[in-house]
Amino acid sequence: MTAPADPATAADLDAVRDDYLARLEASDETGAVVVALAAIDGGHDPEDVLLDVVAEAQREVGERWAAGTWTVVQEHVATHISERVVAAVSRHRPAPAPTGVGRIAVACLDGEWHGLPARLLAEVLAHHGWEVTFLGSSVPATQVAVHLNTAGPDVVAVSSSLPSRLPAARRLVEACRASGTPILAGGPAFGPDGRWARAVGADGWAPDARAAADLLAGQALVGDDAAVTVDDASREEQAYLHARRGELIGDLAERLRGADPSEELTDDLGHLVDFLAAAVYVADPALLARFVRWISSLTVPHGLTPAEAGRALDELASRLGDSPRTVALLRSEAVRAACAEVGAEGSA
Amino acid sequence: MDSTMPAGGPLPTPPSGMRSLSARVLEGLSEAVVVTGAERPGGTRQIVHAINPAGERLLPGLAAGAPVEHGGHDAFTAVVRGGAEEFEAEVGGRSLVGRGQPLADDSRSGDLLTCWYLRDVTDERRGSRSLHRAQARAQFLAEAGRALHGVLNVERTLRTAATLAAGTLAPTVLVLLADASETVRWVRGEEGARPVPGEIARADLRSAPRLFEAMTGDSPVDPWAAVELADLPVWSAGPPTGHVTVVPVPGTVVRGALVLVTETPLPPDVEDGLPLAQEYAVRVGTALSAAALYREQAHLGEVLQGSLEPPRLPEAVDGLVLGSAYRPARESLRVGGDFYEVLPVTPSGETPFLLGDVCGKGIEAAVLSGRVRQSLHALRLVERDPAALLDLLNAALLDAADLDAAGAAPTMPRFATMVLGDARPTPDGSVRLRLATGGHPPPYVLRADGSVVEVRLSGTLVGALRDGEFGATEVLLRPGDTCLLYSDGVTEARGGPDGRDFYGEERLEGALASCVGAPAQVVCERVLQLLSAWLGGRDHDDVALLALQAPPAVPRGDHA
Repeated sequence: MTAPADPATAADLDAVRDDYLARLEASDETGAVVVALAAIDGGHDPEDVLLDVVAEAQREVGERWAAGTWTVVQEHVATHISERVVAAVSRHRPAPAPTGVGRIAVACLDGEWHGLPARLLAEVLAHHGWEVTFLGSSVPATQVAVHLNTAGPDVVAVSSSLPSRLPAARRLVEACRASGTPILAGGPAFGPDGRWARAVGADGWAPDARAAADLLAGQALVGDDAAVTVDDASREEQAYLHARRGELIGDLAERLRGADPSEELTDDLGHLVDFLAAAVYVADPALLARFVRWISSLTVPHGLTPAEAGRALDELASRLGDSPRTVALLRSEAVRAACAEVGAEGSA
Repeated sequence: MDSTMPAGGPLPTPPSGMRSLSARVLEGLSEAVVVTGAERPGGTRQIVHAINPAGERLLPGLAAGAPVEHGGHDAFTAVVRGGAEEFEAEVGGRSLVGRGQPLADDSRSGDLLTCWYLRDVTDERRGSRSLHRAQARAQFLAEAGRALHGVLNVERTLRTAATLAAGTLAPTVLVLLADASETVRWVRGEEGARPVPGEIARADLRSAPRLFEAMTGDSPVDPWAAVELADLPVWSAGPPTGHVTVVPVPGTVVRGALVLVTETPLPPDVEDGLPLAQEYAVRVGTALSAAALYREQAHLGEVLQGSLEPPRLPEAVDGLVLGSAYRPARESLRVGGDFYEVLPVTPSGETPFLLGDVCGKGIEAAVLSGRVRQSLHALRLVERDPAALLDLLNAALLDAADLDAAGAAPTMPRFATMVLGDARPTPDGSVRLRLATGGHPPPYVLRADGSVVEVRLSGTLVGALRDGEFGATEVLLRPGDTCLLYSDGVTEARGGPDGRDFYGEERLEGALASCVGAPAQVVCERVLQLLSAWLGGRDHDDVALLALQAPPAVPRGDHA
């Protein structure tokens, strides 16, 4: 169940992944399933196929979308095929019966529709002997609370790709705390080093499915209340931004492009406001700075340009004068440096 | 008290006939005063030089002129020998605080005399100790209440109950729980270790008959010998030694017992009503009963919900690609007024399908949607034609509504809208759809070339009028074409920049057009995702999508 020790085997997997990506590119579900199952029949561990072929290929798909070489529908189709492949692998080589290490519920945060990473984690943990319940994508905290009461799992594992979902993560942490169930967070939403997992009070963080399995096999997860950065003021300013979201997006779009802004622009401005709200929520300017760098790296036709992002941030700072933390964050050194770096310098 | 004392001068010992002023002052003091000093110059033996009546009451046996140790108060004797300045000691079951003050030279011995001012603080100390105990007890019970009631799961509550009690009430704690079943669940908690859960058959309790009595009776059964529980198969590290206390865990739904294993008998702790262990057991019992009740209700809810949720689509149908997406308005309930279903292919080669919406929300709406689906399952046995099926269903719903009215179920919704039909793949790779509608938004067809057309189809609400009229039509899906059925939760979703605009037909058509080339499931997911972006986290009505697709002409793999 560990990474392939034999370099030749690892090289094999690279070849399998290239083959798999070609199938995704051709929207060939049958072919993709055949590639994955053949790799398993050829002696590769199902976990390696799921993580080093399927998950890695999906990462590549995301990069192709970000680079503008794939359309969003192509990305959706690829993800759909990979989901079918995971189901096929799980039917082809079912996980052995649970070994009694524990029961775990795996879910995506409310608003997180990318269910594949959580699904992969569920498969991997099942192969590590866990009794896994996969709750699905975009699971509201209330539904997790119901599951905690009816099923009483030992641990909850939650996955999310977008930091803008961090307020939802905090609601989930609170639901888990109420029942004394530890919660493990994973996925890019929680920052490259998991710092935002601690900021919202998660009891543990893992960068990927293998690390999650290792972490869960070790000591019991224990949170650190001192690391939680969410407080009443940050909740308040985040809620205020959320309530004014539509109005702010409309005003910013009009300022930037006039009366008829593109859908891509309003989508991007929506993300901008959501990431700002999340950064305020966990009190970390680095979250917004990362977003500025990320959105400037995308190639989306009609989307927000770096220069427009800079102007939008200025505009927000001048409109949100009654939210001191939000303004301080917008004018922070980290955000200014990111803007300077991507050519989005404003007067802020 | 210092200010009432003579400042220095030697005290008269023994009292003479003519009592001095200072002696009379001393007699009136409520504080105890004892003057000690060496029996003779340079000697080590300490005698009492003077003692006032308060001193004699506090330290009976001490007498002026007698050696201090004759008083029999060893703790005080030790203090006098040690010459402490301030001390606190237990003397004869009383708590004393005292202060020793050196006096001027005694004229006879030349040695130092010490005057001891003593105060009885037994009551004060007892008061603050009991206050501390009461505070600690209240805190423990409050924390226990919070931890126990945070979870409505029986197993977790049992574990929490054992963990909290282990180390606080006793080093080893066993919590047993009996419900209506033949199994008795238990959790053993040891201080500083993970709780160990297990199950025993109710019959196993025969080895400890009085334990069974404690679990089912109302009053504590006392006293216990550890050996009584030795044969219970719950002690992995050997039978318990020491003292055993058994406290019944009362409850309305389940009952249990708390077994505390301690090295010494538990102190009789009844200062504030019930002993702590009993108070704790009451809280454990309430939490366990709440959890057990919740489990029953949740099971009921789950079974009902399972029967009302849209069933999974058939895994694979030859010549037909299917997709669906569903988001009920109240997500914690996960059932709503929208429903859809694709039935297994019939022997004559058709795949029946259905998507509809009952007028109403929540569980009542879901019950009606269940009734619609079940009625259709039965009606399909006698009728295949979609429009004729709607006529029959209309009559069936109206009859059922009459029955409801007679039985007085006034809040039940009565009407529904729906599109139903069947799909028959043809040998050339197309799919022929027969469609009929009652009051539902007409489906769209996304052609393989990216164009989007609305199917012309209309009809009246189902279950509203005896002479309802239901339109029918046929649609041919060429390879790569997709037919999308949707509920009005899609087009009537309020969102956009100011949250007031409907999503509308035009945006739905645009969303659909952007999905050209995608499999049916991806079409549904993509439309739902675009709709979520439109909603921007706002509340919405139930949303249901069902897509039927003729597979693309060229197998996808051949592009590579």
